Amino acid sequence: MNRQIRLVGAGILVMFLALFVRLNYLQVFHAGALDANPNNGTRVVNEYDRPRGAILSSDGATLAESVRAPKGSPFTYERVYPTGSLFADVTGYYSFIYGTDGVERTYNDILDGSVQKTGFPTNLSDLRQLLVGGAQNITLTLSEKLQEVARKDLAGRTGSVVALDPSTGAILALYSNPTYNPSELAQLSTVKEQQAWKRLLATPGNPLSPGAYRNRWPPGSTFKIITASAVYDHDPSLADEAFPVLGALPLPQTTHELHNYDGSYCGGQILQLFTVSCDTGFGKIGLDLGARTLYSQARAFGFDSVPPIDLPDAAASDFPRPASFVGNLPTLAYSAIGQENVAATPLQMAMAAGAIADGGEVMVPHVLSYISNSQGQVVSRYKDKVWRRATSSATAAKMTALMESVVDSPDGTGVAAAIPGVEVAGKTGTSQTGTVPPTTDDWFAAFAPAAHPSIAVAVVLLDQGLGVQTQGGTVAAPIARSLIEAWLSEHPVRGAGEVVHADTGSVGSARAATTSAVAPASAVAPASAPAEGVPPIVVRATSTAPRATTTTNTRPPGISATSDTTKRSAVGARPPASAGNRDEKRSLPGEHQRTGRSSR
Amino acid sequence: MTTLGHDAVQASSVPSSPLLPGRRPARRRTELGLIVLAAGLTGGLYALAGAGRAGALPANIIPFLIVILVLLLVGHVAMRILAPEADPVLLPVAGLLNGVGYVFIARLSTAEASAQALWSTIGMTAFVITLVAVRRARDLARYRYTWGALGFLLLLLPLVPGLGEDINGARLWIHLGSHEFQPGQLAELVLAIFFAAALIERAEQLSRGTRRLGRMLIVDPKYLAPVLLAWGLSLLIFLAENDLGSSFLFFAMFLGMLWIATGRSSYLLFGGGLFLGGSSFALTAIGHAKLRVQSWLHPFAHPDTSGYQILQGLFAIANGGLLGTGPGESNAAVIPYASSDMIFAVVAEEIGLAGVTALLAGYLLLVGTGLRIALRCEDPFEKLLAAGLSLIIGIQTFVIVGGVTRLIPLTGITLPFVAYGGSSLITFYILLALLVRISDTTARQGFPVLLAGSQRVQAGANEALPRDSQ
Repeated sequence: MNRQIRLVGAGILVMFLALFVRLNYLQVFHAGALDANPNNGTRVVNEYDRPRGAILSSDGATLAESVRAPKGSPFTYERVYPTGSLFADVTGYYSFIYGTDGVERTYNDILDGSVQKTGFPTNLSDLRQLLVGGAQNITLTLSEKLQEVARKDLAGRTGSVVALDPSTGAILALYSNPTYNPSELAQLSTVKEQQAWKRLLATPGNPLSPGAYRNRWPPGSTFKIITASAVYDHDPSLADEAFPVLGALPLPQTTHELHNYDGSYCGGQILQLFTVSCDTGFGKIGLDLGARTLYSQARAFGFDSVPPIDLPDAAASDFPRPASFVGNLPTLAYSAIGQENVAATPLQMAMAAGAIADGGEVMVPHVLSYISNSQGQVVSRYKDKVWRRATSSATAAKMTALMESVVDSPDGTGVAAAIPGVEVAGKTGTSQTGTVPPTTDDWFAAFAPAAHPSIAVAVVLLDQGLGVQTQGGTVAAPIARSLIEAWLSEHPVRGAGEVVHADTGSVGSARAATTSAVAPASAVAPASAPAEGVPPIVVRATSTAPRATTTTNTRPPGISATSDTTKRSAVGARPPASAGNRDEKRSLPGEHQRTGRSSR
Repeated sequence: MTTLGHDAVQASSVPSSPLLPGRRPARRRTELGLIVLAAGLTGGLYALAGAGRAGALPANIIPFLIVILVLLLVGHVAMRILAPEADPVLLPVAGLLNGVGYVFIARLSTAEASAQALWSTIGMTAFVITLVAVRRARDLARYRYTWGALGFLLLLLPLVPGLGEDINGARLWIHLGSHEFQPGQLAELVLAIFFAAALIERAEQLSRGTRRLGRMLIVDPKYLAPVLLAWGLSLLIFLAENDLGSSFLFFAMFLGMLWIATGRSSYLLFGGGLFLGGSSFALTAIGHAKLRVQSWLHPFAHPDTSGYQILQGLFAIANGGLLGTGPGESNAAVIPYASSDMIFAVVAEEIGLAGVTALLAGYLLLVGTGLRIALRCEDPFEKLLAAGLSLIIGIQTFVIVGGVTRLIPLTGITLPFVAYGGSSLITFYILLALLVRISDTTARQGFPVLLAGSQRVQAGANEALPRDSQ
C-alpha cells in the first residue's frame, strides 16, 4: 500500500502544482488583462467599501461623511452630505456611476487614504498612521455661515457668489444657483442615482456645473477694474486726461457708435469715469491703450489661464487675443468695458478684486485649509502661494481709491454696497445678454475694508430683467454687502475701529467721515445714502448694453447666437441717440433716475 | 523522517529508559511553539484586516488573541494527555488555517464571524471528544456496517421530504431546528471509515480476482460491483441533490482508497472511465450541470448572470497580484458567497500570490503529514484510513481552489478549515483528531518494538529511514 500512498502524495503534489501555476497565471501574467476587462467595472466598488474621510467647513460643520450603510446594501458605506445642496459646488459628489466632482475629486486620494500626508514619523501615532493609513479628513476654508448668507441672499435667483481672502487666496464662500444635492448622486440605489442624474441634466441652467468657477459670462463694467489698472500701469497720461462728455463714442472703421446706456452723457477724468461707470470714456480708453496692452493686463489678472484652484475643471476666463482686433477695432472698445467676447467666471472677478485688495498680487485660490488624520490630528496645512502679479502696488492703491469712490461717492454706481463704518471698494457691472425679453447679467466685485482688506467678493445674477431693479448696483451689490457684513462681524479687521479711509486719498472722505460717525447706529445708512446722493448728479453714464456693433467674432459662452444677433440688429436699427432722443428720455425723470443711478 | 531516525538512534543509546526521555516533551514542545506562532500570525492578520477595513486597530485584538490561543491550547493539552506521541504539525497548521479563515470571514461579515467562532469552538470540542472517544482507531473498523449505513443515510438525508432544503438549486442541506446542516461533509468522513474497513476486509479478493483476457489481466467483473455501486451512488447524489462537488469528492475518495488498498490500476482506469462517461452524460443532459460547464468554459459569455460569480472571483484574484491588496482592503463583498464557496478568491485578492502560496503550502503540509502517518502506520485499516482522510483534505482543497481559479468547473464545496460553515469545520476537526489518533498509536506502538533490542531498533530505523526520506 505504501507505494500507492506515495503515488497519491505525488498526485496531490502535482494537483497543487497545477493550482500554483494557475494562480501565477491569474495573479501575475494575466492579471493586467483581467483588470482591464470591461466586465470588471464592478471592481471599482473597491473604494466604495472603505470608509472615506469627511469634508468639514471651517466653522466645523460636516459637509460630507461616510456612514455605515444599512444592512443589505450593496456597499458597506454610504456617502452623505448633511448640508444638502449648500456646498455642492465645493464638495462635489461621490457617485458610484458618475464618478466624482469637486473636493471629492481633487482630494480623492487624501480622502480615501491612498496618499498619506504624513511626514517623517516622530511619534507612535505618526508611525501608526503611516503603517495603517486610512481615510483622512479635509477641512475647507469656507464657512457654513457665509454660505448660508450667500444662499439666502441669492434667494433662489440664478447666479453665483464667490468670496475669498485676498491676502491668502482662501475661498470663504462659493455658491451658485441652480445647484443640486450631492446626496442624490451618492445613493445606495443606482437606479435612484440614475434618475437623479437624468433629472439634473434636464434641469435648465445645468445645476451640475458649478457656476462660480466653471461658467463664464460677460463681466460688463466690472472689467473696468482691469482696464483702469492698465491705464496706471501702461499709460499713466490717460489717467490725467479729461475725456469729453459724450452720449455716444464714435468708433473707428465703422459708422456705428458706442452709446452710453439710455443715452446718458458722461465724461471727465478717470475717477469720474470709473465712479459713474462711463462706457464712452472707457471705450475710448480701451482704444487708446490698444489691444496688446489690454490683453496683457487681462492676462496679468488671470484671464486666459485656468486658475490654479483646487477644484476640478475650473474654466479660464476669456479675453480675445490681440490679433482678433486687427481690422476689428470697434470690438476693442466693447472689450474694454467687459462686453463682446470678454467672459469671466465669478471666481475670476473675485480674484481681480482680490488682486487690487492685496497690493496687486493674485494669490492661488484654494478651498483646502488643512488635512487631518483619523485621530483628528492636523497632518498637513495648505501653504498660501502667490499665483501672479496683476498690477503694481502703486496701481493697486490708486485702484482702491477708484473702487471706493464707486461705493461712497454720491454719484457712484455701487452705493448699495456701502456699510457704515467700513470702507467698501467695489465695481458694478451690468451686461445685456438677451433682447426678447431683454435680460442682463448683473455683477458686483468688491473688497473690504479698503485699508486692510480681508474679504473680496464677486456676485453675479443672471438673466435679470432689463431695468432699474435689476442691475449690478441694485441686485448684486446688496448681496456683496451682506456677505462682507457677515464676514466682518466675525472677523473684525486690525484697526477696524479707526477711520479706515485715512490712507485712501481724497475721494469719498467726506462720506466716510459721516458714516464713521453714525457707525454705531448703523444699518439704516445704506438706504439713506442713495437719497442724499441723487440730486446733484447731472450727467449719467452707463456701463452696459452696447447700442451699436460692427462685427462680432466669437461670442462668450452662455449667449446664444440667435438672441445675440436679434438683440444687435434690433438695437442697431435704432437711430443714433440724438439730443432729442436723449431729452425725451430725460423728460421721464423717474425712469431716468432709476436707470442712471443703478445701471452700472 | 530524520527526526524519527535521530530519535531511534537516541532511543537505542538509552535502551534502559522505559519512557523515552526527551521525546514526548519534544514533540509537544514543538507543537506548543507552532501553536504560539499560528496564534501570532492569525492575530497579526486580524489586526491588519481591521486596520485595512476600518482604518483602526480592532478594539478586541487582545481578547481575540487570547481566544485563539486558549482554543488551540485546549487542543494541545488534550493531545498532551490523550495523544502525547502524535505528530506536532497537524494541530498548529489546522489552527492557523482556521484562524486565517476566521479573519477573512470577520472581514466580510461580523454575524458570520461570531457564528464561525462558535463553530470553531464546537469543532475543537469535537476534536477533543473524538480523541477521548476513539482510543484506538482500529476499533472503528468493528462498526464498519454501522458507519456504512450512517454514511449513506447522511448522504441521502437531504432528499428526505420536509427535512432537506434546496439552497441555490442544490439539495444538500437539512434543517436541524433553526439551523441548517450540510450532512454531506460528515458523510464523507464516515464513509471513509467504512471504505477503509470494508476494503481492507476484501482487499485480497479485490486484488486477486482477475481474469485473463487475451494477454491482459483484468478484474473479474463481479469485483467491479463495488465500483459500480459507488458510481451509481455518486451519480445519484449528483442527480438528486445537484451537488457536483460532493459527488465528485465521494467518488474520487472511494476510487483512491480502492486503488491504495488493492494496488490495481485497472480500478483507476475503469473508475475514471465511468466518471468521464457519467459526467459527460450529466453535463450534456442536465441543465444545472450544463450551466456550470458553460460558465466554466465561457464565463465571459454571460458576465452578469451565469458567469458572474466565477468572473468576480477571477477579477478579485487578479486584483490581488503578487502581494495582495492587504487584508481588509479589497472589495470582496461583491463576490457572491464570498465567505463560503468563494473565500479563496478573497484570500487571494487580499494577501496575493505570496499569501495563497503559503496557504496552499499549509494544505500540502496537512496532506503530506497525513500521508506520512499512513506510511508509518502498521495496521492496514489505520493506514488506509489515514490515507483516505488525507485524500479528502487534498482533493477537496484542489476541487474548490481549482474551481475558483477556473481550472476545473466550480462546485459548491468548502475550503477545509478556512471557509465559513459549521458542518465542514466540525467534520474536519474530527478528521484531524482521527489522524492525530492514528499518528499517536503508531508512534507508541513503534517504540516498545524498537526498545525490545538494539538489533530490531537498527532494523526498524533502517526500514524507516529510506522510506521516509524519499
